[in-house]
Amino acid sequence: MQKEIMQSYLPQDAVAEIFDDAAVFEVPSAEIKHVVEELCVRHGAEFKLMTATDERAEHDCFKIWYVFGVPGEHFFLVPFIRLQDTEIFPSIASMVGRAMDDERRIKTFFGLTPLEHPDLRPIILHEHWPEDVFPLRKDCNWKTRPRMESGEYVFQKVEGEGIYEIPVGPIHAGIIEPGHFRFSMAGEHIMLLEPRLGYVHKGSEKLFEVLPLEEKITLAEKISGDSSFGHSLAFCQALESLSDTHPSERALSLRVVYAELERLANHFGDLGAIMMDTGYSFGGAHGARMRERMMQINERLTGSRFLRGVNAVGGVCKDVNDTEVKALLAELQEISEDFSEVIAVTEESVSLLNRLKGAGVISLKIAQQEGLVGVAAKAVGIARDTRLDYPYAAYRDWALADIATETSGDVYARFRVRIKEAHASIRIIQAVLDQLPKGAIHPKNKKVTFKKNALSVSAVEGWRGEIVYVVKTNEKGTISRVVPRDPSCVNWAALKHAGYDNVIPDFPLINKSFNLSYSGNDM
Amino acid sequence: MSIALWTIQILLTPLVSPLCVGVIRKLKATWQNRQGASVFQPYRDLWKLMHKDEVMSRDASWIFRVAPVMVFAVTMVVGASIPLFASFLENSLTGDLLMVVYALAIGTFFLALAGMDTGSAFGGFGSSREMTVSALAEGGLIFSLLTVALISGTTNLFTMVNVATIPSGQHVLSALLALCGFVIVLLAETSRFPFDNPATHLELTMIHEAMILEYSGKKLALMEWASANKLFLFMALSVNLFFPIGLAQQATVGAIGLGMIIFLIKVAVFCFVIAFIESSMAKYRFFRLPDLLFIAFILNVVAISLIR
Repeated sequence: MQKEIMQSYLPQDAVAEIFDDAAVFEVPSAEIKHVVEELCVRHGAEFKLMTATDERAEHDCFKIWYVFGVPGEHFFLVPFIRLQDTEIFPSIASMVGRAMDDERRIKTFFGLTPLEHPDLRPIILHEHWPEDVFPLRKDCNWKTRPRMESGEYVFQKVEGEGIYEIPVGPIHAGIIEPGHFRFSMAGEHIMLLEPRLGYVHKGSEKLFEVLPLEEKITLAEKISGDSSFGHSLAFCQALESLSDTHPSERALSLRVVYAELERLANHFGDLGAIMMDTGYSFGGAHGARMRERMMQINERLTGSRFLRGVNAVGGVCKDVNDTEVKALLAELQEISEDFSEVIAVTEESVSLLNRLKGAGVISLKIAQQEGLVGVAAKAVGIARDTRLDYPYAAYRDWALADIATETSGDVYARFRVRIKEAHASIRIIQAVLDQLPKGAIHPKNKKVTFKKNALSVSAVEGWRGEIVYVVKTNEKGTISRVVPRDPSCVNWAALKHAGYDNVIPDFPLINKSFNLSYSGNDM
Repeated sequence: MSIALWTIQILLTPLVSPLCVGVIRKLKATWQNRQGASVFQPYRDLWKLMHKDEVMSRDASWIFRVAPVMVFAVTMVVGASIPLFASFLENSLTGDLLMVVYALAIGTFFLALAGMDTGSAFGGFGSSREMTVSALAEGGLIFSLLTVALISGTTNLFTMVNVATIPSGQHVLSALLALCGFVIVLLAETSRFPFDNPATHLELTMIHEAMILEYSGKKLALMEWASANKLFLFMALSVNLFFPIGLAQQATVGAIGLGMIIFLIKVAVFCFVIAFIESSMAKYRFFRLPDLLFIAFILNVVAISLIR
């Protein structure tokens, strides 16, 4: 049935290979623009990501993969093109805004050039990296140190009377991740903001190709530390799909519990941090306190404050016993009341609301153009949530009542979305724990073997937004490419629009209301 | 006796001011459910900074080197020019209210220059914001002091508190309005909420901290100390001008002791008020600050027009 629906989305003469919920089909290089347009415009498919693989050893070609999702039908469409004897491919950046940075990544890491791309400056890798060394090509040995180069990065420039620039970072006064921001200012107003990232690039994508399986999962947990569980879940789901492993009902339910616990901890922390940045110390202190409480619950349940080491291929490694279920249910009730009380007080503070409202507005148009995801997208009224659009784990049974959205698109909207999501998370955990299925949580001693020449797409709604993993195996059935996509990669591109025409003292607050991961973007 | 008294008067400001900062921080921490550092931590910080090496930008000029001394010296001079614990002392040289206001302005001037001196973007916008705020605060400051001067018929601050008009019930409304105006100006001049966040680590939102961002070691210690002094001086001015109760009237040990204790209690209460404001509200957006300062100015104009 699903296969037939999938078929209806494909171009007429395309022959698709179907892997679980992903249909992979080849498109001639010259037709890819047309196919992308068909998918986006006619079928309303969502662009997820695009990436490349180096298959010169096996098939004597590079391949460029385009991953689309069809939210209503819960499946993914993956057209790809083959680059034989050429290192140039047609750019789709003019049609799909989100593909802009993905194509720059392909250019930087594979050395394949998107034709007619407006901005071909290297991304992530800085000037000291030689421009002719492409780390994700298979013939680039990850253990070699390339020669040191030098050069100058050219920032975008605003001309005009009284325009001056403020360089901020990469080292900041607070304890946060490194990133450089270049502001072009007219008085106190931001005319242009250009973030420059890449300071925490760790070569994760390359590492995924060489590390043993267990360490790959650990690596996924460290793509962005605050979304450890979301990342390991997305990665494990992709591996399960590739190896035809089906976790038990209990494991699927527990994954929902852990995922929502992670969301709660981070939303509490963010709400506190937003208030702290306005100087409203009451809210800041309580946010930090409630986040810490969640972290301690995480540690009690799994031995890890960040829920690391919990996910494995085929299930989860940490069970929750009946006494713990009772204790957790009681504690969640308490947390829910506590949270409502704190929020009731903060919503009375005129000075706080005045700072939050109207700051850092993103319009619906820009959000759609940049393909915003997660909390930031919900704050402009885009009702997209992977838990509903592409249900995974036990979300198939425990669907959300509705997606928490706001319409104003300012800091306050993002603040409100987090509050609503936190309440919803508590309800979901309670509902799941109430009817936790019995059984094993992990198949013991099962050897994992992967399908050959297969591809799997897995999406998870992390607390920040949609986390996507694309995993590919080669002819021997070993993992040849892993593409993690943290929501930060997408939303960083949209942040500059949120800064425009705000006063610069408000920028830290706007940035905090997105709270994007530098590590998740730089990988 | 007189020499001893003046020594106390001059040393009181730098000795007690770090304690005020410590008390405010401790109170704020308590209200945030935190333990907080000891109230004596600011002294330890100053001690630590005094023993640290300094890093200075190659582009720094003499202004950068001189500014901390100037800013600190100004607060010492003003500390000797306003009534703290005794009202019988006389200072006709620098005790005039305009003298005090513009002495403080010299400090602000050098602070702003020092912020711009190294050419860092943060220092530049810190100075620009500081000048915006202090230019707007000046009117409110002078007019609130002028209200008290008109009520008491003198512009010398020591004589002003001696006349002690306000407790006697004359012009209570004017005095209260002027007090409100003065407190708003105080918060602006001493970089407290809702104008500035002294505890922030966000460079882009800073005013005072942005100007001293380039300083380190002894010079930073002087800058920090000077800003603590300024806070103390403004609190002393407001408690003594508007509540001139308990000031020592004659040079006896008992009267001075009592005057000192009452003065410190008044300042402590004021610290409590500031800590409360900072714990219960968010910082204002930068472009709402002028409105607040205009309110201070208007309150004082109303206060003056109500006299007689």
